[in-house]
Parts: sequence; C-alpha cells; structure tokens
Amino acid sequence: MTPKFVIKNLHKSFGNKHVLRGVNLEIAAGESLVIIGGSGTGKSVLLKCLLGLIQPDSGSIQMDGKEITKETHAENEARLQDIGVVFQGSALFDSLKVWENVAFRLIHAQHMNRKQAKQIALQKLAAVGLNESVAELSPAEISGGMQRRVALARAIATQPHVLFFDEPTSGLDPIFSSVIDGLIHRCVKDLGATAITITHDMNSARHVGDRIALLCDGAIVWCGPADTIDDSTNPYVQQFIHGLPSGPIQLETETRHVA
Amino acid sequence: MVWMLASIGQVFLNFLATTGRLILFLIYTLTQAVQPPYYFRQILRQFWEIGYLSLPVIGLTAFFTGMVLALQSYTGFSRFNAESAIASVVVLTMTRELGPVLAGLMISGRIGAAMAAEIGTMRVTEQLDALTTLSTNPQKYLIAPRLIAGITMLPLLVLIADAIGVFGGYIVSVYRLGFNPASYMKQTFDFVEMGDVTSGLIKAACFGFIISLMGCYYGFNSKGGAQGVGKATTYAVVSSSILILITNYFLTSLLF
Repeated sequence: MTPKFVIKNLHKSFGNKHVLRGVNLEIAAGESLVIIGGSGTGKSVLLKCLLGLIQPDSGSIQMDGKEITKETHAENEARLQDIGVVFQGSALFDSLKVWENVAFRLIHAQHMNRKQAKQIALQKLAAVGLNESVAELSPAEISGGMQRRVALARAIATQPHVLFFDEPTSGLDPIFSSVIDGLIHRCVKDLGATAITITHDMNSARHVGDRIALLCDGAIVWCGPADTIDDSTNPYVQQFIHGLPSGPIQLETETRHVA
Repeated sequence: MVWMLASIGQVFLNFLATTGRLILFLIYTLTQAVQPPYYFRQILRQFWEIGYLSLPVIGLTAFFTGMVLALQSYTGFSRFNAESAIASVVVLTMTRELGPVLAGLMISGRIGAAMAAEIGTMRVTEQLDALTTLSTNPQKYLIAPRLIAGITMLPLLVLIADAIGVFGGYIVSVYRLGFNPASYMKQTFDFVEMGDVTSGLIKAACFGFIISLMGCYYGFNSKGGAQGVGKATTYAVVSSSILILITNYFLTSLLF
C-alpha cells in the first residue's frame, strides 16, 4: 500500500540558518504521527513544506505517490481541498463570526449557500463541545481554549482525509490541553484521517499519536510507536522526554548568573 | 569613497528589487482579480470601509480647507481689488487640486495604514496561511477587493469633498466677508467646467489605486510580529503619500 506521505532528504535554509538537514519520513494512510522536538528545530517549517506554503531547497515530498514540491498554484489549491489545518495560534479570521470561520471553506471554496453552511458549522461546533450561542460571537470574544476548538471545527468542517495540527495545545492550561487532545484523537479516528501533529508537549504526543518522530537539528533522530517512546534508550529521546538540560541536544542559549 | 558608493548602490539595488516585487505583486493580483470566483461581499465591505466610513474625515478636511482658501484668497485679492475672483479660485482650486490631493493624503493616513495593519496582522498571526489552506487565494480574497474599492471610492469621496469645500468657501465669503450669496454661486458655476471636475476625479482614481496597492503590499509582506506590522504601516503611509505628491505633478502636467 502506498504511504500517504513520503519525505526524502528534505533540506530548507533561511539565509545562513540551515533549518531542515535531510528529513526522511514515511506516514501511512490513516496513521496519526506526532513530530516532537524543541523550539526552533524546524517542526513548523516541515509542516509548511508539506502544505506547500514553503518551498524546500532540495529533497522530495510525495503525497499519495505524487511529487508535491514542484506543484503549481492550482494543483496546490486542489490538494489543500482535502486537508484541514489547525494553526498554532488558531489563526481565526477576526473580521468574521465564529460560525463564518467554521463555514469558510464550505462557502468560499465549495460555494455552498450560507444557510446550509451555517447548519454544518453549528454541527461541527457541537462536535467540539461549543453551543450555538458561541456561533454568533467574534473570535476576539471567546477564550483561547474555545478559539482552538473553533479552529478544530474549521479544520474538520469539510471532512478532510488529512489533518495537520501545529502545536494545538500551546498556550493552554493542562485541563484545556487534555480536552483538545481528546477532541483531536476522536476527530482523527471518526474521519479515518491521516494526521500529522507538531508539538513539544509530551502528554499531548502520547495521547494523540500512533507513532512519534523526534526532530532534532533538522533531521529525524528517532521514530517509533507512541507506546514505546518511554522505553527508548535513544539519548536524544531520553533527554527530550525527561527535559534534561544536558545531553546530545544542544540548546542555543547561554545562561549567566543573575547577580 | 568606495564605501559611500557601495551604500548608494545598495540603496539603488534595494529600490529596484522592491519595485520589481511590487510590480509582480500587482500583476499577480490583477490576474487573480479578473478570474472567478468574485468576492462581492468583500468588495461591498471595502466600499463601506473606504467610502462611507471616510466621509467624516474627508468632509471636515474639505470644509475647513474651503473656508481657509476663501479667507486667504480674500487677503491677497483685496490688495488689487480682485475680490470677485474668490469664488472661482475656491472652486477651481478645490476641484483641480486640493480636493483630490488632500483627500488622497487623508485616506492614505486612514485607509492605507488600516490596510497595512490589518493584512500585516493577518500575516504574522498565520491568518494568510490559513486562507491558503482553506483553498482561498489571499490576493484574490483580500487584495483585489481593496484595489477595486480604492479605485472606485476615492473619486466619489473627492466629488463630495469638492462640493463641501465649495460650500465652506461660500459660508466664509457670505457670512464673514459679506459677499452676495446669489452672485457668489453664479460666479462659482460660471467659472467651473466639466474638465476641472473630471481631472480631479482621474487624479482621485490614481491616488486610490496607489493607496490600496501600497497598503496591501506592505501589509502582505510584513514579518516579525508587532514591530514588523508597525514598520509595514509606516512604509505604507509614507510611500503612498510621497507617490501621491509625485504622481500629482505628472498628472497635472498631463491634464493641464
């Protein structure tokens, strides 16, 4: 069976900063893969390369066996029809009401009439635990946790077969994080979608992932089933999951005494 | 000496690079604007934002400019007994020059800045990326409606500004300087020609295009968080204001 995504020797630099240094990864259809790694290791850049928002310098990305690094605008637009994305800061449109955010793709890309799109938006909001009263509010009037749920509802509104989550629990308290993790897990399983989640939250990674990959210095240094990560003897994994300041992962920080 | 030449050369190269990027941005936006789907709701929203909501600013600017123009003209013209020319000076100055230029500069501050800040914030909060992932082209959805609204609304605003400016001049001339209302109005309409008004409207359409383009371009290409959005806003207002003044000279030469 053809994997959903095949990433081979992917490189991307911004000026002198070499962010991705030969990423190799395969993601099976229907699998939920979590990519973990420290801040600034290139997780979001990798995600944006998969979406076609950033052009890699070299290497290959195949989706359903088709190369996507050289696709045209029109091909990218067509491919994105079947992909839902939850961005790190939710990225809801401030000028639109909550339900209009959820129904955005239905109205603008699928040309559904607004009344019908609103009904679907309300169903999706209910699926993520938000009631009708929230639908008429603007994103600025709801909390960060609710915004993340709205972003999730927007991502699943058209029932896509691929879902991307960029740090879906960042900035949320542990309770809200668990709620979001639960919703992601349920949505992915209900849709039977292939999911790629970027996070540095280990609780979140264990909860939503079938498989976990550790990205370090722009390359995958470990990849395995989510339930085996705690037993791994890989020094990178050990340092990351236990949050150890010393180890093979070099931090780009310099500490000094306060006084 | 070499260092100085290198600096000048770098500035010139940056200018050429920015101009090239701006032209490519414009061409891509225009090609997107003419292809369906058309976002009429977005266009109407921009008509409202640029047109209707700018009326108070434009009205006040034009009203006081018309009043000052009448007073200053009186000061000068009374020295050689040419007070009767005030009505024609006010109407010609407002329609040909001050109406479009002042409206352009005021709209540049109000709308150009708002466009750069709104689109810039959307850029740094990943809303533009979100638009793309929702199968919607950001240039078609955000930029094209603003360009259309800028080009169509500025002439309408200038038409209103012309009328309000002339009215301001009338108020001062009649109630402060003691002119006869009927003869003031007659002189106003006797001297103004259709060409005076249309030249101002052509200028206004060009200024509307410049304001929308610069606001959208700098907002769309902003980066680096709040500071980046602030810079984009400043660049948008400064560049559109300068371009308005430069374009005004060349348009005046053409339409003279």
